[in-house]
Amino acid sequence: MSTDSNVALEIQKQATEAHKRQNRKKSLSIFLFLVPAVIIYLIFILYPIIATFNYSLLDWNGMGEQVFIGLDNFKALFTDPAFWLALRNNMYLVLVSIFVQVPLGLLMALVILSSIRGKRALNVLYFLPYLMSAVAIGLLWVFMFDPAKGPINNVLNMFGFESISWLASNNIAIISVLIVLVWQFAPFYMILFKASMVGIPEELYEAAEIDGANGMQKFLNITFPSLMPTIVTSSILAVVGSLKTFDVFYIMVGGSSGGSTEILGTYMYRQTFVNFNMGYGSAISAVMFVIALASVIIILFSDSQRKKRGDLA
Amino acid sequence: MKKLQLAVISFFMMAIVIGLAACGQDEQGAGDQDSQSSQGQEQVELDLWHFDPGAREEVYKEAIQRFEEKNPNVTVNDLLIPNDDYKQRVVVSMSGGNPPDVFTSWGGGWLEEFVDSDQVRDLTDEDIDYDSFVDVALNNSTYDDKVFGLPLGISTYSFYYNKEIFEEHGLEVPETYDEFLNIIEVLKENDIYPLALANQPKWPGAFYLMYFADRLGGEEVFQDAYRRNGGGFDDEAYVQAGEYIQDLVGKDAFNPGFNGVPYDSGQGRQLMYTGDAAMMLMTTGFVNNVRQEFPEFEEKMGVFPFPTIEEGTGDPTNIAAGVSPVWSIAKDTEHPELTLELIKELTSVETAQGYLNKSGTPVAVKGVEVEDEYVTIFTDWINQANSIQFPYDQTLPPELAELHKNTTYELFGESITPEKAADAMEEKAQEILE
Repeated sequence: MSTDSNVALEIQKQATEAHKRQNRKKSLSIFLFLVPAVIIYLIFILYPIIATFNYSLLDWNGMGEQVFIGLDNFKALFTDPAFWLALRNNMYLVLVSIFVQVPLGLLMALVILSSIRGKRALNVLYFLPYLMSAVAIGLLWVFMFDPAKGPINNVLNMFGFESISWLASNNIAIISVLIVLVWQFAPFYMILFKASMVGIPEELYEAAEIDGANGMQKFLNITFPSLMPTIVTSSILAVVGSLKTFDVFYIMVGGSSGGSTEILGTYMYRQTFVNFNMGYGSAISAVMFVIALASVIIILFSDSQRKKRGDLA
Repeated sequence: MKKLQLAVISFFMMAIVIGLAACGQDEQGAGDQDSQSSQGQEQVELDLWHFDPGAREEVYKEAIQRFEEKNPNVTVNDLLIPNDDYKQRVVVSMSGGNPPDVFTSWGGGWLEEFVDSDQVRDLTDEDIDYDSFVDVALNNSTYDDKVFGLPLGISTYSFYYNKEIFEEHGLEVPETYDEFLNIIEVLKENDIYPLALANQPKWPGAFYLMYFADRLGGEEVFQDAYRRNGGGFDDEAYVQAGEYIQDLVGKDAFNPGFNGVPYDSGQGRQLMYTGDAAMMLMTTGFVNNVRQEFPEFEEKMGVFPFPTIEEGTGDPTNIAAGVSPVWSIAKDTEHPELTLELIKELTSVETAQGYLNKSGTPVAVKGVEVEDEYVTIFTDWINQANSIQFPYDQTLPPELAELHKNTTYELFGESITPEKAADAMEEKAQEILE
């Protein structure tokens, strides 16, 4: 009896041993497959991030002598009104992308998946802006918004409204750029939503129809909950994307307007490459990174909370 | 099965490693080959970066060709990078330790930043005939009596106007500021924008501040503020200059929405070409642009210097001008002799003559023949000028230059008072200038 069980134990042991070995082999091959990606990640993502944090502790013009000054850059940054203004503008951008771009993308996806006429044409039309390069978009809209000869003002004049100096006056300038950003990025979210809507099982809708649900009820109880993961992904992309925004702002308003349309990206660029404050610019980048990271963590955390609640219910 | 898997992986890894190694070796291999090639002479490649498109680029290419003919073993890789991008690329390449051998700039405070960081070669004691350059232009790239760049062009800033419109409304070129204001009134009554301004990049508007301050207080205003000789950027002349700017804005003298109109994309110039606007304060680059974009306009086009202000003390012959390109050599270049030859060719009389003829811009090199109608006028102005004012944003240290452009932009946007703008400038100046 006891020898039997010993033998059994022995066999079991050997089995787990072999299993372990196999596992190790497996993880080795997995690791080998990952190596190229990891190397690229380390060199092009992780190293620059660490380098940026390192630079942010220096008084450095980018070329000459590097002087270690500890957290002085950050101290200066947090008392710099231009930084807070840029941050505020970035927050507008975040809000607009989450509450305008993402819902608009959802709406557009609903439209092109519905059974209306000409949805194929709409599909192409909606997606076109996303295919254009940011430089082309920026220039295109600069001409659209041209105060003297631009089509937008011409249309306004046609209806008897006064011309608006779109990109010149401080508050309107930022709204103008936000309009363009919505126009540019809503199609991206549309594609995300469209892809995940196609994946919702048709049976759910059929069952709902049998139960007598109307269109709105179907949307609220089936489509919307099924899209929740996509909405979370979109929000993360929207937050991170709008914190990183640079190109269209830079082209349309030169990131200029004496700071009133400055965003973190353009302010960082100006400090680093125009004013030769590599250290200070890196401090701005570091803060941008921390904000983006924190936002992503918050969104993911609240999503996991939501899922837990969902499980309990 | 497992073995196959491992074999496949090993193969991939090997491929990647070899690939990476090959990439690394590529340059070395090329270098080896070069050094062994024809006639035992070393094959050399020089990188040259500049920011001038159009006719000016052509002139540089011709100069490079002449240089390459004299030095058959040398290839010059010239790279044109647009203005704003250019500044960034140069900074990054310098900090990355891989700068172009030869690069161009506007001299002044921007180049000084690189000089201070010990990135630019000192040309003072090299075999260069400094007498062949115009002194004021050379001073723009001279720091502590050491020369760090050779200038080629001098771009004067003045008003361009539409002769047809002036004739039609019986207007004459203004000599005084009152006459200038009168012209603005007449043009406005006739629904023409008196002044075209594309102020999104901020430097076009800064010309007005610079000229107003000069006409009101003379060239000493800036010199005293910049050299910290008892003057300051809060000088009465600067406050007044701000008031003059806001007076023009209040009179609707400019095209609407000028603060949002970019210069490079051309809507500002378009207003001039179409006759919607009558005058524009611009660099000689305007002539270059007209010839490229809308040559028909040239016969209608006239120029006049910034008018005299009666209540001011500035000398009306004073002129504002920028020096560019200024050719410099990176300190760490491996070919000190060749790069020197190259920038000498780029500032030779032949190159300067081509530059002058093709781009309608005076040059900083002596011994050229002036034929071009506009260059004749501009050169006269330069020769008669009591003093030449270089643009603040190219002279001042970058951070102060940026503030100058920002505050002036806000003056135009009426979002800051002249006093506040002047005070902000002075505060920063005290922090940055010793």
